[in-house]
Amino acid sequence: MAVAEPAVAEDAGRAWRLRGAATPYLLLAPALLALAAVSLYPIFYGIRASFHRYRYGIDMGSAGTQNYVNVYHDPVFWQAVKTTAKFVVIAVSIETLLGLALALLVARELRFASWIRVSLILPMTIAPVVVGVIWRLLFASDIGIVNPLFSWFGLAQPNVLAHGTSAFLGLVAVDTWEWTPLIFLILLAGLHSMPQDPLEAAQVDGAGRVQAFFHHTLPLLKPVLLVAIVLRTIDAVGTFDQVFVLTKGGPGTSTQLISIYSYNTAFLFTQYGQAMAMLIALLACLLLLMAAAVRFMRRTSEAVA
Amino acid sequence: MSDTDVKAANVFERPLTRRELLKRGALGAAVVYGSAITFAPKFARAAATADSITIGSFQDNAMAPFRDTFIKLFAKETGIKVNYNETNYDTWYQNAKNDGLNKTGAYDIYVMDDNWVPEFAAGKIVQSLDSLGFKVNKDILPKGVDQGLWPPRSGAKMKAFASQKPELYAIVIIDDVEILYYNKDHFPKAPQTWDDIYKVAKAKAHPPKLYGWSARGVKGNPIVQTYLPLMSSYGANFVNPDWSPGFAGAKGVAALERLFSFIPYMPAGVAEFDTDQETQVLLQGKCTALTEYTGLVHQIDNPSASKVVGKINAAATPKQERSGPAIGTFICGIASGSKNPKGAVQFLEWFTSSKVQKQFARTGGSAAVTGSALHDPVAVKKYRWLPAIADAVNNSVPKPRTPDEPKMEDILGTALNEALVEAISKKKDYNAIAQKHLTSAANQITSYLKQQGGYF
Repeated sequence: MAVAEPAVAEDAGRAWRLRGAATPYLLLAPALLALAAVSLYPIFYGIRASFHRYRYGIDMGSAGTQNYVNVYHDPVFWQAVKTTAKFVVIAVSIETLLGLALALLVARELRFASWIRVSLILPMTIAPVVVGVIWRLLFASDIGIVNPLFSWFGLAQPNVLAHGTSAFLGLVAVDTWEWTPLIFLILLAGLHSMPQDPLEAAQVDGAGRVQAFFHHTLPLLKPVLLVAIVLRTIDAVGTFDQVFVLTKGGPGTSTQLISIYSYNTAFLFTQYGQAMAMLIALLACLLLLMAAAVRFMRRTSEAVA
Repeated sequence: MSDTDVKAANVFERPLTRRELLKRGALGAAVVYGSAITFAPKFARAAATADSITIGSFQDNAMAPFRDTFIKLFAKETGIKVNYNETNYDTWYQNAKNDGLNKTGAYDIYVMDDNWVPEFAAGKIVQSLDSLGFKVNKDILPKGVDQGLWPPRSGAKMKAFASQKPELYAIVIIDDVEILYYNKDHFPKAPQTWDDIYKVAKAKAHPPKLYGWSARGVKGNPIVQTYLPLMSSYGANFVNPDWSPGFAGAKGVAALERLFSFIPYMPAGVAEFDTDQETQVLLQGKCTALTEYTGLVHQIDNPSASKVVGKINAAATPKQERSGPAIGTFICGIASGSKNPKGAVQFLEWFTSSKVQKQFARTGGSAAVTGSALHDPVAVKKYRWLPAIADAVNNSVPKPRTPDEPKMEDILGTALNEALVEAISKKKDYNAIAQKHLTSAANQITSYLKQQGGYF
């Protein structure tokens, strides 16, 4: 029995340790279940739907990979992917440059800095649908103010939404107006939290403003800048409301982003399976892109550290 | 304070133990759950008892008299209570479909757009009115009744349904059809052909003060609605009986060239025009004529909306070979899960009766569905457009009857919009532009239908 006693104690200790290890998971379980129900289930349901065929609003059963094959052979889909990529690259680039410039300007102790900050973030607080309506009224060829403005300067009326290129650029302008403030805010926070010592040391060493910016501010700001770009890119890929209100993807297919095309495919053409296949394929591409961006960010952070 | 009061006060003052909290929580949950299972079915059934029906609809100004006057009138005459729910078009389409597919029974009658009929009938989202013993009023214009048949009586039919006998799945309640609106100041009598309209446009238009024509140019459904009456009048078809697109031939191209011929006389931004912008120029007195659905009739004599009250007349859309306006009726089906199909049938038979339709036409000049209502002298005296609606319905050409029609319309509508933008910018080569874009649309539609299967 003298031998058995330590064994019993050891068992009890193991059980205690196990219970201790399991408790956090048990406590987390309800939250994880809720998360799975609201977050993971819809994704899995979407993936399942992408392998099913829908007809007359009814799930007709498995379609194998046919939806993906159809999407691959659909020229309109590729056109929408191209338009989305063009839109994201142009809009996010402009927003980043403008956001950075504004953040650098406002980060300095200007007299009306707080007022400028508030007025700059105002567009971001308006619902995207309302933004679409506001700009539709501005761009409209009959009652808008853009056409009369051009006439006033002696220029030909552009009829912004009636031509492919101008409608696309109009959309970029709207997105820039609405979302530059987000980049501005993130970068401003980054600038405020930046260590000042290296910058002051550089100034003491005689570095000019431009040199200090490129050699000190920008490298230190890089991780924050990347976060801002990644966030905006994810958001810009899903742009829907403004396009829906302004152009519905037209003229032709010039502003038909993937979000608009997949919406039409699902709810107008009732091809739910095909629409899901489009979105799943896009999600996969986006995840790869984001993984690359995150890896790049990590490397940059390590280099800065 | 008695002992009992002290005990009771203590119960509320002292902190609860965990066991008590659990007990009370469980008791509370049991009470809530018990009440839910006891009372919920009663509430759910309230919408579907034998003495009530529930109608669901999308929002549209044309539904106002139906909603505000006739539902109450029916309840008053029959004692059957009518619950009416409406929401926006897209949401209602999804709600109705989900309700019918799952046989939820939340609704008895769906107010639908006629192009939902193929999907709702083939998918058994609505019940066959024939099976329910619905009696069709012979006075209803036949072209309107045809919109509720599945499979269609004539024209292209999907293979799986080609041998089936057409059954009535929905009944028209508002004959919405495209008609010609023209300003009497510029047309002493109704123009008969597109050439007549072109002559006046050429002679009188002076943009931007006065346009010779206005149109919906936005891609998709809007520009298709502009093109369809032209296409049909030139003798072309959206699809031929064998499902091959019928608009890319000489007749369809000529119809689009005719639209392009109005470019110098139309607003410069017409490629981005939808109904609101298109009709504004007419109501502001800045346009000689346009084609539009019957919803516009409610505005032409409204002084708060129109600067040309009493000057806009209506007629059937112009002919070239024939008059061929597009038809887009408001149509009602009975839900597959309806709890009161008998009451639903009674309501629809009542509303489409000649007597009620006459009253409907007299209420603001609504687009009634019976011949006698659209030619009712009392109604016509007040609402001059009613005979034009009857004429247009009799000449109307339905869109392809298939659940894939929205996709076909989107392909054609995108090509038409691209063609219009190109024609506006080049201002020449109209024939080549029309041919190129219509051929592209025809090829895309053919390959889409082949991919879907069941057509060729």
